[in-house]
Amino acid sequence: MTLMRYIELYFKLVSAGIRAQLQYRFAFVMRIVGMITSYTGTAVTMWVMLYQFQELGSWNFYEMLFLFAIAVLSWGFCIILFFHFRSLDTYILNGTFDRFLVRPINPFFHFMAMKFDVASFGQFIFSIFVFIWVSYELGIAWSLGKALFLIASVVGGVLIQGGLLVIISAFAFWTTKSEQFYWVVMYPARNLTNYPLVIYPKLVQWFTAFVVPFGFVNYFPAAVLLEKETPFFPDNIGYFSPVVGIVFFLVAYYIWMLGLSRYKSTGS
Amino acid sequence: MFNYRVYWTFAKKSFLRSAVYRFDVWSRLGSNIIFLLMWGSIWTALYAGKEEAGGVSFEAMLTYIVVSQFLTGVNGAGTPLWEIQEKVRTGDIALELMRPFDVPLRYLFADFGSVAFYIVTALLPLYTVLFIFMDVALPTDWLTWVYFIIASVIGFLIRYCIEMSFGLLTFFLVETGGIEDIFYFAMSLLSGSVIPLWFFPDWLATIAIYLPFQGIYYIPNSIFIGEIAGLEILTSIGIQLFWVVVTYLVLRLIWSRASKKVIVQGG
Repeated sequence: MTLMRYIELYFKLVSAGIRAQLQYRFAFVMRIVGMITSYTGTAVTMWVMLYQFQELGSWNFYEMLFLFAIAVLSWGFCIILFFHFRSLDTYILNGTFDRFLVRPINPFFHFMAMKFDVASFGQFIFSIFVFIWVSYELGIAWSLGKALFLIASVVGGVLIQGGLLVIISAFAFWTTKSEQFYWVVMYPARNLTNYPLVIYPKLVQWFTAFVVPFGFVNYFPAAVLLEKETPFFPDNIGYFSPVVGIVFFLVAYYIWMLGLSRYKSTGS
Repeated sequence: MFNYRVYWTFAKKSFLRSAVYRFDVWSRLGSNIIFLLMWGSIWTALYAGKEEAGGVSFEAMLTYIVVSQFLTGVNGAGTPLWEIQEKVRTGDIALELMRPFDVPLRYLFADFGSVAFYIVTALLPLYTVLFIFMDVALPTDWLTWVYFIIASVIGFLIRYCIEMSFGLLTFFLVETGGIEDIFYFAMSLLSGSVIPLWFFPDWLATIAIYLPFQGIYYIPNSIFIGEIAGLEILTSIGIQLFWVVVTYLVLRLIWSRASKKVIVQGG
């Protein structure tokens, strides 16, 4: 099948999903409200934290908000595209995963297009509001180059976080567990990266830069955009964010396909 | 009528059940350690090499965070909020209504079992090692330990009543989006679990002092590091007792309304 055919199919599957979700309009709105409340809660915590101390590892409140908003924005896209990967274990255990294998399309693609979670409007509203506010407070001079770099690094961030979700889901092929790995590995890792990496022990910084490259989701790109230094790492390392994203996602895809080749149905 | 043996059985069963789901225990411990690392690093960076800030030494602050993370582990080992919500949504809770026990108490005792298992097998070994190897200030006075344990237990009960009440709100609201996020926000910030109240802006500290959440983390943590000392310990525990009564009554009220609602809907 050609790429065009896949793209067309993706939109068809996705629009069916969106229409289904919009049937429950109240639930939809409440989820968005909930998301915004929870991100605002984290932002308020940051504000209270810096009320007396002013700075966290040479990052002030607005810079930290900016760092946080990049993570939230790319996470928003990640929810849309990949969030359901974490529950692959349920599909495998129930035997419903088999339906992704009997159709004449790539199973990875089919599983990915199965769900399109539109509730991440909360993430978009929150992060765009923060970008505007912080740009005003810090007087960031946006240029076309900077805007393009922000978009490119958000794409990188989506691929990195999506890649990790894909790897976590692939665990289900070997261990029949994936959702729990999400809560052990990814949820804490996402929380760690809400704060500038410079505050963590060197080993953790190194790990989040080169093993699970979460540093490229927000810390390194934010340092480039805010012209801040990244101790222990070359300045401007953030420009590699999109490349890191592509490489990491390809590795994740390869691991997923490897797991799939080992998959044996529960037969139920 | 309170049949002690029934509830004791719930505690025992849930202790044994936790032993079966050992992977859960390890995964919970894993994320507890990561959050400890996170908040430890944040406070190290905030103090930025200073010996003290706001009249509190760095060593005491680090101890505050370690103790707080220990209590977070304790409070997080019971039935989570979403599980109660799920039971209400799916109607599973109706089955429990038909049985001859009190549902809020049954969950409390089940939590005692799973929390006990988690403390014994995971939290105590980890935090004993941490206390030995980290530069933290342990209370030298055995009475402080006693007060700390009492305050932690009351804090646990306050948290249970509030969390259960929030869970039961699902009976009255079809969609609870936003409600549980307010709960989690209050639990993490207003309780002083990650930032002690003395670093709050004055107006926010005043609000927090008049809310029950401070009884869950702030009071036990502060007793542990000696920020609350002397006679103040007794007033603090008095405040906690006041809140445990109030939150328990609220839970009772919500529960009696909720169980009537089930009957009206025909189960």
